[in-house]
Amino acid sequence: MSGALDLSPGIPAARRRGLILGGDPLLAGLVGLVLAAALGLVLLPPAPYLVNMIGQLAAFAILAVSLDLVWGYLGILSLGHGLFFAIGGYVCAMHLLAHAYVVTGTAPDLMQFMGWKSLPVYWTGLTSAPYALALALGLAAAVAFVFGLASFRSRVNGVYFSIISQALVYVAMLLMFRNDTGLGGNNGMTGFSLLFGWPMGSPGVVTGLAVATLLSLAAVLVGARALVASPLGRRMLACRDDEARLRTLGYGTTRLKLGIWCLSAAIAALAGLLYVPQVGIINPRVLSPDLSIEIAVWVAIGGMGRLGGAVIGAIAVNALKFWLSAAMPEAWPFILSGLVLVVVLGLPNGLLDLATLRLKPNWLQRAGPQP
Amino acid sequence: MVEFTRRSFLGTAATLSAPAIIRPAWAADTVKLGCLFSSSGTMANIEGRLNHVVRMAADGINAKGGVNGRRLEVVTSDPASDWPLYAQIGRQMLQQEKVAALFGCWTSVSRKSVLPVVEQNDGLLFYPLHFEGDENSKNIVYVNSPPASSVLPAVDYLMGAEGVGAKRFFMIGSDYVWPRTINKQLKAYWTSKGVPETAWREEYVPLGFSNFQTLVNQIRSFAAQPGGQPIVVLTVVGSSIPDFLREFANQGIRATDVPILGLDMVEADLEGLDTAPLVGHLNCWAYLQAAKAEANTTFLSEWAAYVKAKGVPFSADTVIDPMVSAYDSVQLWALAAAKAGSFDVPEVRKAFPGLSFADPSGYTLTMGSENNYVARGVFIGSVNEKQGFDILWQSPDAPKPVPFSPYG
Amino acid sequence: MVKGPGRFGFVALLLWASSLVMPPALAAEATLDRGALATALCGDGAAQAKAVEGVLRNSAEATSGDLAWAGTILRALLDRRLACLGESALVLDRAGATDGRDAATGTARPVTGGRSPVLGLRQRALIETASGAASLLTGADVELRRAGLAALERRIATVPEALLLRAASAESDPGLRAGLAAIAQSAALSSVDPARRLAAIRAVSEAPSGAAFSRLSALKADAAYGSDPAFRSALDAALARVERAVSIGNGLAVLYNGLSFASILFMAAAGLAIIFGLMGVINLAQGEFIMIGAYATYGVQEAVRRIAPGWLDAYLLAAIPVAFLTSALVGIAIEALILRHLYRRPLMSLLATWAVSLFLINGVRVAVGSQNLQFAMPPYVSGGVPLYADFVVTWNRLFAIAFAAVTLVLTLVILKRTPLGLDIRAVTQNRDMAACLGIRTRRVDRLAFGFGSGLAGLAGVALCPIYSVNPGMGANFVIDSFMVVVLGGVGTVVGTLVAALGIGGANVLIEPLYGAVAAKVIVLAGIILFLQRRPEGLFAVRRRR
Repeated sequence: MSGALDLSPGIPAARRRGLILGGDPLLAGLVGLVLAAALGLVLLPPAPYLVNMIGQLAAFAILAVSLDLVWGYLGILSLGHGLFFAIGGYVCAMHLLAHAYVVTGTAPDLMQFMGWKSLPVYWTGLTSAPYALALALGLAAAVAFVFGLASFRSRVNGVYFSIISQALVYVAMLLMFRNDTGLGGNNGMTGFSLLFGWPMGSPGVVTGLAVATLLSLAAVLVGARALVASPLGRRMLACRDDEARLRTLGYGTTRLKLGIWCLSAAIAALAGLLYVPQVGIINPRVLSPDLSIEIAVWVAIGGMGRLGGAVIGAIAVNALKFWLSAAMPEAWPFILSGLVLVVVLGLPNGLLDLATLRLKPNWLQRAGPQP
Repeated sequence: MVEFTRRSFLGTAATLSAPAIIRPAWAADTVKLGCLFSSSGTMANIEGRLNHVVRMAADGINAKGGVNGRRLEVVTSDPASDWPLYAQIGRQMLQQEKVAALFGCWTSVSRKSVLPVVEQNDGLLFYPLHFEGDENSKNIVYVNSPPASSVLPAVDYLMGAEGVGAKRFFMIGSDYVWPRTINKQLKAYWTSKGVPETAWREEYVPLGFSNFQTLVNQIRSFAAQPGGQPIVVLTVVGSSIPDFLREFANQGIRATDVPILGLDMVEADLEGLDTAPLVGHLNCWAYLQAAKAEANTTFLSEWAAYVKAKGVPFSADTVIDPMVSAYDSVQLWALAAAKAGSFDVPEVRKAFPGLSFADPSGYTLTMGSENNYVARGVFIGSVNEKQGFDILWQSPDAPKPVPFSPYG
Repeated sequence: MVKGPGRFGFVALLLWASSLVMPPALAAEATLDRGALATALCGDGAAQAKAVEGVLRNSAEATSGDLAWAGTILRALLDRRLACLGESALVLDRAGATDGRDAATGTARPVTGGRSPVLGLRQRALIETASGAASLLTGADVELRRAGLAALERRIATVPEALLLRAASAESDPGLRAGLAAIAQSAALSSVDPARRLAAIRAVSEAPSGAAFSRLSALKADAAYGSDPAFRSALDAALARVERAVSIGNGLAVLYNGLSFASILFMAAAGLAIIFGLMGVINLAQGEFIMIGAYATYGVQEAVRRIAPGWLDAYLLAAIPVAFLTSALVGIAIEALILRHLYRRPLMSLLATWAVSLFLINGVRVAVGSQNLQFAMPPYVSGGVPLYADFVVTWNRLFAIAFAAVTLVLTLVILKRTPLGLDIRAVTQNRDMAACLGIRTRRVDRLAFGFGSGLAGLAGVALCPIYSVNPGMGANFVIDSFMVVVLGGVGTVVGTLVAALGIGGANVLIEPLYGAVAAKVIVLAGIILFLQRRPEGLFAVRRRR
């Protein structure tokens, strides 16, 4: 990896650091906005359902960023990112149930239903939040590692990778729908009562969760931007645009792809982890292939290969969904499909095309993602 | 911490100046009711109807002058068979739309997802489906029956001499909580009756499963074994029901050989099936379309007229139990609100005990003081040639609901 | 089970002996109290059961006139064409008619205020048997009598042997006579006469089934099994024969189930294989083309119903070209409007087709409604026929298998024997070279996309008799059919076929062992692993891009 640093031409390290956000005013603006929103939630909290909704949207944005990292910057379209999101969600749910069980002593519904006397072995240690966090991220990365290693080594790419990853998430869904899998089956896990000892759903917890999610989003954005602006990021782009040439030039691409892929999975798990306590339920539906395609839709609508685009897409689509499925329930599917078609046909870089029409084109547009 | 002080300040202010704040709201002449039924996604076919029923019920009440002098306004939504979205929209309805009550959910998982929302916001959810029981929230009104009050009588009937004297049981269900809980309770029940464990078999299929060839083969070989009359206890749901029935009939098994007790089977599941080879299979619900009652005739014609007038995209002459239960829900809420003279949830809840309402099933629904369940009658229906159910047996009265089953 | 036939067997033996002297119909002409029967049938379940049991018991002695009358009224009761007015029963021509004839006297009367009793399962079983007996003995044509015999066979243990003997002596059709003889023979399993018992064992083992196995196994508890070596060896041999036949039958059933599941997979995947192979487009709307095919079939059915109701049974066949064209046209339109612009961006075309599928599902839902469509099932796709032991061939699945075979042949012929097929193969193998040679690749794309969509439409026709038809029906097929295409190797129809057979077979084999969910999980996981090692699938077409 260090070899890559030395070889990369151009910008000195110091300037590069300065560029992390400076090079992308849109992203800088978004991060500022996210931080301002976090501050706003604390100082002038709106109605709890709005706070909760903002928190959910931020979780979706993190998820979209994780997909954009591999799709927009590596050209790998995963249609199975719901799997990593779900891993985060399930581990978080297990932690919440175990925690509440230890604190209150009331056995969760799941235990009663499964006829367990105590929580099974694989719940060991999940009462500890740091362990749960590590497990969620680690497990997602590990699953991604195994799947990615097999795929990238045998050069599975393009649409093949998409289909196979979709089949993977589908298999996971079938597996989790099974009652005997032991994680709640179709009903999944719900009835979370406590978070770090505080009652779930109290205004403080709702706000706290939303703020934590917003801060995580800001951190993920800054981190991801640092990554893609680094020499490693340039190699990602090179790999996306012409993997064969990069390999001919002597760069191993498998390790690069694998590393970013695992990182992306861990970020998706983080999103799941933050999402579940806010909606209060996790069930295999998050593993449905449709949801995983929808993540790609958010990114495509916002504009892929631009971290800011992923955020805008995820927030715009989901906000619209929340609003319309209550306000105009019949129209939502048509609007969504129309939106996708417009973007796909007319705005190859997503909604950002609208925003940047008059702005100075930057390096990303020149690169123009061509998966 | 800042928001806590702010909140508590607002809270105090609201309590102090309550009349001043609330009165303008009362002056508005409508009160909102929220619907949480999917009109798209996997549940659309059956759940979608309930939105229209709630509207129809509200229209009926409005035509009689509304409740407490206010007109009902129904807010519908589309949670798109996406469970977390039920919670999200429920929260939105309670906090933003300020609905006085929610009517919604079909699957247990959607109810479980809304449950914390109504509890945290002290809302009211009327749940129109029969389900696995073992739950009693003060914020949910369980309008349909728990298994101990509906399934066990039906199984008893089949085991008795009046039924078929069933001795062996093939349980086949969709793989989730409701079928598994029902089957668990049934097994405990049979054990208590001295039925040996070898007399039953249990199989589960994924939701939406449609390829029933192998399972029907297995049922046939199960039926061929000695040991007495076999029956199938069917707890698959949704589109699996017609697919199973079709395969069952095509393989030449008749109700008089191996009867099916379809616990989630409703008239709507028979739409699109040739039911002649299925005649005689059974279901059990708290309402069947064939119920003989004046209220039912009124309800059926009201629904047919409503479908025609509003261009509702569902059959005008198919009415299923959850539709009637949704209708009952609105009526029960209206009665409670009128009795309480208020739309405040705690007041309305206090009015529940002692409520009674003669619903289309011909039974008088009552609510007791010990739980939020509604006492309903029990019907056992028998499939007829016309894609409907004839009433084979019905309970003499509405048994007291037993939320927590004594079996398992 | 042993006791019943034993008692009947004994009585029957006496009757049989007497029937040697005179024809059974004349043996004891008992007259039926028609009024009492009609009243009892309008009574409660117990009264119904008692009366019908009486009819069945006396069926060997009753006059033909009485039997025919009883058959009419029982059939009416089964069909809910019996209206009860106080003590008397009216037989209606059709359910819900306003006038009927009094069952006992035959006088016409209005039905107003009558109720039609709902049968309990026990009563229904009895009545089916009794009315079967009536049609066996008094049916005017062979078909009716055969149906009657089939009804009796279902509950052979409750049928008096004298009835079978009477039927046998009166029967003119040789086939039916043989059937009656075999049934009468096998009904004597518990006879006191050892010779008849052995004959019965043989007769039972000649019609092997799981039920026959249970009946024979029960005889192992018989005293004769220990004491009579001839009986013992006959029974053991018969049991072995039945067991073997049943396992062969089960094997056939597995084969058939696998084949029918595979044919569904193949039909769903065939069009996809062409589209994906040719254009590299992941068409997520393929399932919706299946749905459109099914809705087109429905449209044809409704049209036939309006225009030529007499030909309703043929609508499935008439729907074949319509469904193909409808889906093909929708496909071509989508290609022309959307996908044409996305050929260089396959991942974007994936999202576009997803949007199209969302649009189609919801468009159909809003336009037609989300309920299952109602199809009239012609006889050639409903029911089934027992072929061997417990193996039943169901017509709807056989229809799908035949349909898949025709689709396969059609696809191969078009791909291998037509100019379009040649073009498609050329473009699939090397698009640029084909273009250089003057092939209008865009036109080939469009036609191939239409062809692939049309094949999905055909799948829709074949699925109508098997699955429920509603807007969301296509969604179930997408992942499965992609797995078939990718596993088979892109661009080969034969590969698709082999993959479909493999996946279908594996699913059916695993299902009885680990359950339906696990079967699906294991098969899919296996495919994913396989594809990780061999991404090009089973049969890869050499190609350059």
